[in-house]
Amino acid sequence: MSNVDLHVDLHHGSSSDVGLVRKVNEDSFLAAPPVFVVADGMGGHSGGDVASRMVVDEFERLAEVYDPARGAELVAAALARAQACIVDYGDAHRALSPGWHAGTTAVVAVLVVDHGTTKWLLANLGDSRIYRITEGRLEQISVDHSVVQELIDAGQITVAEAAVHPERHVITRALGSPEGIEPDFFLLPLASVERLLLCSDGVTGMIDDAEIEEILLAVADPRDAADRLVRAAVAAGGRDNATAVVVDVVGLVKDASYDSQRQLQSLESKLGGRQ
Amino acid sequence: MSAEARFAPGDWYAVVGDHVTVLLPGSQRARVPTLWDLADSGADADAVLDALLAGGLSALDHFALVAHGADTTRLLVRGAPTASVSTADGDEIVSATPGTAWREHVVTGACSIRLTLSGDSAVEHALTPGLARVSVVEFSAPTVSAVAPRPAAPAHRSEEHPMLAVVPDPVPDPVPELAPAPAPEPEPEPEPMSFGEPEGDPAPTGEVPVVEDDWDRDGQTMAGRAQPDFERPPIPGQEIAPDVVSQPVASLVFSTGDVVSVDRTVLVGRAPEARRFASHDQPHVVTVSSPHQEISSTHLEIRPGAGADHGSAIATDLGSTNGTVLAQPGLDPEDLTPGIAVSLIPGAVLDLGDGVTIQVTNP
Repeated sequence: MSNVDLHVDLHHGSSSDVGLVRKVNEDSFLAAPPVFVVADGMGGHSGGDVASRMVVDEFERLAEVYDPARGAELVAAALARAQACIVDYGDAHRALSPGWHAGTTAVVAVLVVDHGTTKWLLANLGDSRIYRITEGRLEQISVDHSVVQELIDAGQITVAEAAVHPERHVITRALGSPEGIEPDFFLLPLASVERLLLCSDGVTGMIDDAEIEEILLAVADPRDAADRLVRAAVAAGGRDNATAVVVDVVGLVKDASYDSQRQLQSLESKLGGRQ
Repeated sequence: MSAEARFAPGDWYAVVGDHVTVLLPGSQRARVPTLWDLADSGADADAVLDALLAGGLSALDHFALVAHGADTTRLLVRGAPTASVSTADGDEIVSATPGTAWREHVVTGACSIRLTLSGDSAVEHALTPGLARVSVVEFSAPTVSAVAPRPAAPAHRSEEHPMLAVVPDPVPDPVPELAPAPAPEPEPEPEPMSFGEPEGDPAPTGEVPVVEDDWDRDGQTMAGRAQPDFERPPIPGQEIAPDVVSQPVASLVFSTGDVVSVDRTVLVGRAPEARRFASHDQPHVVTVSSPHQEISSTHLEIRPGAGADHGSAIATDLGSTNGTVLAQPGLDPEDLTPGIAVSLIPGAVLDLGDGVTIQVTNP
């Protein structure tokens, strides 16, 4: 739709698989340029799958009338509506079976106009992730809202320990939470993103960042790349639903000296390194 | 205050500014100082409402807000307060329907408003700008006569215009107006990305699916305890900055002509990235051109200081490739050490390279 107004051509591919263990695919996704969403529902059949579907439905409606100049406002409103919807649904369910709950993660990527410039606005709730490829390297942009991420931030466990931690599936923010939602937002210049990946933890829990990077760098077509990621996750054990959405900005005029990666390393080395 | 107001004593707080009056239950004492700060500085209704809602709606069961504009009066009520509004066209009761976020009502022309908060006593005391403990507040039109308000309005305007004409400011004033950020200004086209006004409870637009009872629980992901606050991406060794402060601590005058208030984090660079912010604390992102690539993509952060630096702006070089030079008044210029925050004195100048400098002034 608004690609014309934005003068940005987006190519994308998506793939989702129930995996080898689960009976229901509770992941939902949307690829309606320039609106992309991955949601990983929790709560079992007619809980998680419905909750993640509700998020995608809201963003589907948003994509139909999307206005990049009001992108931030529209995304925040869509998340708030999805939240209200899931809470209503949960309340209705709880009337029948107390203790029942439905919730979902969400990662969202949209193009917005900020000060007359097109940028990526990213939003995150939960432990689905957004990565980017920039200058041939993979970088995780979103920061998980999870117990293990908090332990990592507090310096109590390492990333490697987090991967096998018993509470690694426990998330601290989600849509459907009765306390309300507090999404994290990220605003990135268009030129800083060569390729974007939105995925559920069924991908990141099964294959590590090095393998994700390898696939995203090796496979040119975004549809094939999404497919390969999900197949690799299933091949690695497929313990959870796996979903990947890959987005390429086509004809991106590369800012040759884009240096955030170098800068991050520079900052870390100047600060004496940090783990 | 453009209307004459009276009150009956009680246990609610009345925060009375020149344009805006906020009424809060006694339990909301903690919110009063911030609101008074804003109301007293002449902030408009939106700015006050912003601050009022900054902590979320859930902890704020009851409030009322009355804003007197040039020709309209805006009234918001949530929870218990009820207002009876009298205009030339008749009387009306305004109160929030249970289950809604609040009721908003706009009255054009002269009106009197009686807000009942607790009890229903007679209003015997004059309510002047400041703080009061109240149970009932009544605003009446300046002159009750229906004819009076009309000539009054143009007269008011003609007072302002000559003043502007007589005192033309020949020097481009680097200090921006004191008005808090959300004040609607006639902006030139490129607008910053905005999350808009905080909304009340959104109505779900989709249908709520019919509840079935054949669910099974086979997902791995599950919800945990909600954390009060996840730390922002920290600069190691620094205190967590307040998200947004009600009054800017400084103004930044860029050599490019931009003027930015430091009421929240300001990120400066050739192509700055803003990471991990909430919709209410979206940082100011200032893009500066750097033809010789001397400036890094996200070069420098300036934000309101916390702890010992409270009330001043602090600057941190974010590990830029070519560094930042800071010249504080009366001191030798120094290179900022990456990741180490430095408190800025008004008059300080930051040099980012490629001819881009930032002068720090009082807000």
